[in-house]
Amino acid sequence: MVTGKRPLRKIGFALLVLSIVLFCIFPFVQMLSLSLKYQWDWGNPSLIPSRLNFDAYKELLNIGQSLKNVPESIINLLDESPDLTPAQRSAILAKYQDTGDVFPFLKYFGNSLVLSLSAALFSVILAVFGAYSFSRLRYRGRAVVQRGVLMVYMFGGILLLIPLYKVFVSIGLLSTPTGTFIGLLVIYMVQTLPVSLYMLGNYFRTIPFSIEEAAMIEGASRFGTIWRIIIPLSISAIATVYIYSFMIAWNEYLFASVFLKSYKDLYTLPIGLKTLFVSKNAIWDRIMAASMLTALPVMALFMTIQKNLTGGMAAGGVKE
Amino acid sequence: MHAQIKNTGKLPPGGSATALTDGRTRAQREELLGWALVLPSVAIILALILYPVLYNIYLSFYQVNLSGASRFVGFLNHREVLGDREFWNALLTTIIYVAFSTVGATLLGLGTALVMNEKFPLRGLVRSLILLPYVAPVISVVFSWQFFFDPVNGIFMDIFYDKLGWFSQRINLIGSPATAVWVAIIFSIWKNFPFAYLMILSRLQAIDQNLYEAAEIDGAAGRHKFLYITLPEVYFVVNAIILLRVIWNFNKFEEVYLLTSNVKVLSVYTYLKAFTGAMDLGQGATLAVLQFILLIGFILFYVKRVIKW
Repeated sequence: MVTGKRPLRKIGFALLVLSIVLFCIFPFVQMLSLSLKYQWDWGNPSLIPSRLNFDAYKELLNIGQSLKNVPESIINLLDESPDLTPAQRSAILAKYQDTGDVFPFLKYFGNSLVLSLSAALFSVILAVFGAYSFSRLRYRGRAVVQRGVLMVYMFGGILLLIPLYKVFVSIGLLSTPTGTFIGLLVIYMVQTLPVSLYMLGNYFRTIPFSIEEAAMIEGASRFGTIWRIIIPLSISAIATVYIYSFMIAWNEYLFASVFLKSYKDLYTLPIGLKTLFVSKNAIWDRIMAASMLTALPVMALFMTIQKNLTGGMAAGGVKE
Repeated sequence: MHAQIKNTGKLPPGGSATALTDGRTRAQREELLGWALVLPSVAIILALILYPVLYNIYLSFYQVNLSGASRFVGFLNHREVLGDREFWNALLTTIIYVAFSTVGATLLGLGTALVMNEKFPLRGLVRSLILLPYVAPVISVVFSWQFFFDPVNGIFMDIFYDKLGWFSQRINLIGSPATAVWVAIIFSIWKNFPFAYLMILSRLQAIDQNLYEAAEIDGAAGRHKFLYITLPEVYFVVNAIILLRVIWNFNKFEEVYLLTSNVKVLSVYTYLKAFTGAMDLGQGATLAVLQFILLIGFILFYVKRVIKW
């Protein structure tokens, strides 16, 4: 099409590409723009802020917040009395710092991070062995296992949520913060496990068996070959699957919203953001800044594994 | 597939009949190891996916009580749900939502894949930018879309009311159920068309270029090449995408619930029934079972009648 000589066609094609790109990235651009605007600037349809405002980011990342909400007179008083010890100073400041109003973004970020990193880790460890089993070993029932794993494509979160909630409440898992955390961890792990199994299984099949065979003739055990041959050879695929699992857990809202309802300290970013939006309406700059910061890790990870992941996705290894 | 047959067809050295020192044959040991390696995964999937699905069916026959004993009520939950107007409204909303979002995402994905299959400068960058909506966390993009349609500050109303005058006043499109469902559909198309695009693009790249050359020699025009070569080649993958998108969009919760509280598709309706207000888990379970039955019915219909497997 573009190779054609007619310039009009060329321009039309360029416009088409441009509009597709705009459609895709416009919400992100708007998010960035709004997060940097002052409130009086929100109604301005231009995407370029009239004046840059970094307050939202500073507040979320807890930069320079120590003097916020402290009355001017107190600050002056502190400046004028140099004989106060640092302990006394911070005691006075602590009185005025309004911590109840601050959105604990960093805490939620940390919760999300710990939960997603560990769920993805367990999922990948189990998947390496499982995928090796059904891509390399022959046994009765293998086909059933492989197909059964794919069945998971049909089950939406809501179908599993009610029974799992009932079970977890019955065995008392949700009555302690630790139990709740573990429960959520296990659920995230099992949600990503089928996809990890499928993607790794497909990858292992592309590794020639002769390499393993040679190692086994030399006396290596099955576990030895997995550890020394399969894992090093498929490290990029394993990293891809790990990051994919991480992203699924990082984005999850449904289970977290039900399980963590009464544990504010364990909130992950998605519920944290939702509560922030509901509780303090129309604070677009902070909402958008939080959105940006939530999206960034995922976007960065995605860009690093993009080539491998898109190959895996096109081969059918995804679940939503 | 080919690699799979080749690899697994080859037996480890020694042959399957060789008796080993512990009295088991190589094949038996392989069977044992195979099961041992896959068992943790299978066990956890059985316990946390298959068992809950069955338990969910069981729960649908009970008046569920979280702190005490549940009471068996037979088909009471089912009768109540089916007699509830809200259920039928939710079903209708779901059908509209799933149908339009699936068709929209698939068509847009097909169009985008055709464009991205051409060569042009910066194609690599453009291809990865297109995937951003699909990988971004739902929670981080819903607010931007809400702002876009915001009646006071949003750009949509600025363009279509202030500049073009298509509306008689600034209205809150997300605020009323009748219009919010269309916002949810547009959002779903935006979020999910990259998936269709990616699958179709990888299929397009696999088409034998000789087919096009042969058609050109025979004097085929561009649209004939599209109709008689491209379309049949992508037919299967497009059907697979439609099937997967229907399954996923039917089960979608976050992409609707986080965007707007005014669109009650079945999954949202179930969530609200089970976890807000009176927390009727029994009816929630019933709703989930009905959704699952509807979905299975659709899958069987689609696979038998449309894909004709």
